[in-house]
Amino acid sequence: MTDQERIQHIMRRPINRRGFLSLMGASAGAAALAACTSPAGSSPSAAPTYEIENELLTYNWSDYVAPENIETFKQRFGVENFGYDIFANNEELLAKLQGGATGYDIACPTAEYVAGMAEEGFLQELDLSRIPNMQHINATFRKTAWDPEDKYIVPKDYGTTGIMYRKKLVPEPVTSWRELYDLTKGKYSGKTVFVDSMGDVFPFPLKMLGYSLNDNDPAHLKEAGDILLELAPHVHSLDSDTYQVKLANEEAVLCLGWTGPIVDLRADPATADTQYIVPSEGTLYWLDTWVLLADAPHPNAAYAWLNFIHEPEIQKIETESNGYATPNDAAKALVDPEMLADQAIFPPDDVIANLEGSLDHSGVQQRADIWAQFKANIG
Amino acid sequence: MTAAAGVQAGARELGDRGGGWRSRLLTALLVLPASIWYLFLLVLPLAIVVIFSFGVRGARGGFTPAFTLDNYANIFRAVGVDPFINSLWMAAAGTVGCLLVGLPLAYYIATRAGSRKGLFILLLVIPFWVSFLIRTYAWFLILDPQLAVAAVRDLFGNPDFNLLGTPWAVLIGLIYGYLPLMVFPLYVTLERMDRTLLEASKDLGAGRWGTFRQVTLPIALPGLVTGSILVFIPMMGEFVIPQILGYGRTFLVGNALYLDFLEFRNWPAGAAKAVVLIAVMLVTVTFYLWFINRGRRTREASVL
Repeated sequence: MTDQERIQHIMRRPINRRGFLSLMGASAGAAALAACTSPAGSSPSAAPTYEIENELLTYNWSDYVAPENIETFKQRFGVENFGYDIFANNEELLAKLQGGATGYDIACPTAEYVAGMAEEGFLQELDLSRIPNMQHINATFRKTAWDPEDKYIVPKDYGTTGIMYRKKLVPEPVTSWRELYDLTKGKYSGKTVFVDSMGDVFPFPLKMLGYSLNDNDPAHLKEAGDILLELAPHVHSLDSDTYQVKLANEEAVLCLGWTGPIVDLRADPATADTQYIVPSEGTLYWLDTWVLLADAPHPNAAYAWLNFIHEPEIQKIETESNGYATPNDAAKALVDPEMLADQAIFPPDDVIANLEGSLDHSGVQQRADIWAQFKANIG
Repeated sequence: MTAAAGVQAGARELGDRGGGWRSRLLTALLVLPASIWYLFLLVLPLAIVVIFSFGVRGARGGFTPAFTLDNYANIFRAVGVDPFINSLWMAAAGTVGCLLVGLPLAYYIATRAGSRKGLFILLLVIPFWVSFLIRTYAWFLILDPQLAVAAVRDLFGNPDFNLLGTPWAVLIGLIYGYLPLMVFPLYVTLERMDRTLLEASKDLGAGRWGTFRQVTLPIALPGLVTGSILVFIPMMGEFVIPQILGYGRTFLVGNALYLDFLEFRNWPAGAAKAVVLIAVMLVTVTFYLWFINRGRRTREASVL
């Protein structure tokens, strides 16, 4: 796949990270509750063989499955009708389910939303014995903070929060949060922009100090807060919407942000030197998932799909088609090396174990206070 | 007094003045929509804000009923009084700025524009046809360090000259955004001004400044007061302009409220800040009105 093609693939689905983070709490906070609540639908009976229905109805982001995989699936399992309805964001999916939308077998929410959906009884618990290909999923993406017992989530693909910088203007090596800290405080004071999102900025000091990004120990938060407040006067601005503009016009040269804009920045010769790296101490990732809906009319076809999509060969095609990192190790081994080397898509192998999903911490008063102080002291 | 009682009182007053029951009914009917509006979109929401300010944050955000004063005690804990002070300064400076730009403009349109009056008024209104957000983003371009500002920068020979992300950019945005709200009330009062008063003032030996200070300004005062309040109050709560043009570096009460409601989803904390903001505005506006009226009384005394 050429760069241009990959760009087009990635462009298909610009993720509004801010949108889903801001509503994370609508569901993420319920993780604990969901863990002890059983959903309305019960697991399918464990019969040894299953009659695959001739229909599968999915509800997904637009252009998020490789068309050729759909064709292969239809032929191999004799599924005549593969329905693919699209939603624009997680809220739309939730709203439709809350409005009583039934008839779908499978949906693709972002992991933060899964606990809330399970709590409301929209999901069924998975029978993992029917998805043997789950064995290929990297341990980082099993038993996540969002679904501690692997009851609902089949991981689909993921992306990271990291550091973007203009290589031309920042000759120093940038590989870690520590270096971002030093450069922001030192040489590039006033030239660093952070995304305006508490959930994405806190992982920076916490991971730099070697703590979990979900750590709420008051002493650890104090340490992290001190780092943020020390940096605040050196930060150019907090900006989630136009940080790529600031990188492009060189108002800022370093950025704590998401991978979305890198496609445009690299495509423009003037800003083609833009790099994205995943900090070596580890960072935050988002995860899109496959879930099985409680009242799925075609559960056997659904299980067939969930297992099928993680066959290494099939998953490789998915990854190269949609341009996001796969959590499937066996498939990753088959992926185009050029794509593997791009940190804007795949974190380096040794960092993957340090990736963490985030729970909703917006209700933690100490974090809120630090964030408010940080914001009030920017620039 | 509830709105319904207000309607009755209003109707009674009119009825007493000589109308029969029919007139009273008509008045009640005509006042009804406004009363409903007032009740449901001002009194009730305000009551909700006050009630919420005594609650606690729900486990997943939002509001859980309770009675605690913590939200008030904690208003200044994280960021202190700075956002309130910044907002007061910004709104005051913005109001003065609107006045400095708006008064000459209104005066010109009302007294000198002649047959082009309508055109000028139209030009003032036209920007309202475009979304506020888009107009603010337009300033983003105007102040872009590589575009218009570059010319100014070259003029002063200062390579670091920049406006975006500074309080000045916020101030420019505020004045631009709220100017029409200042100009219209001023225009209306100045337009009704009896021009012969100016001639009389001149005949009696007052200079230009004296005439302005002793005749024009007192006449324009009601418009000035209305305009000032119309621009001051929304400026106090402004959030979009400091966020866009100030890069969020000028941290105002609006930004603090945004944080509480949308990032922390802590409605009670935000509600408490909102109540305090309303109180600050009430005090400021009351003081302002007292100050203006005091000025007017002493001036009348001096004239006598």
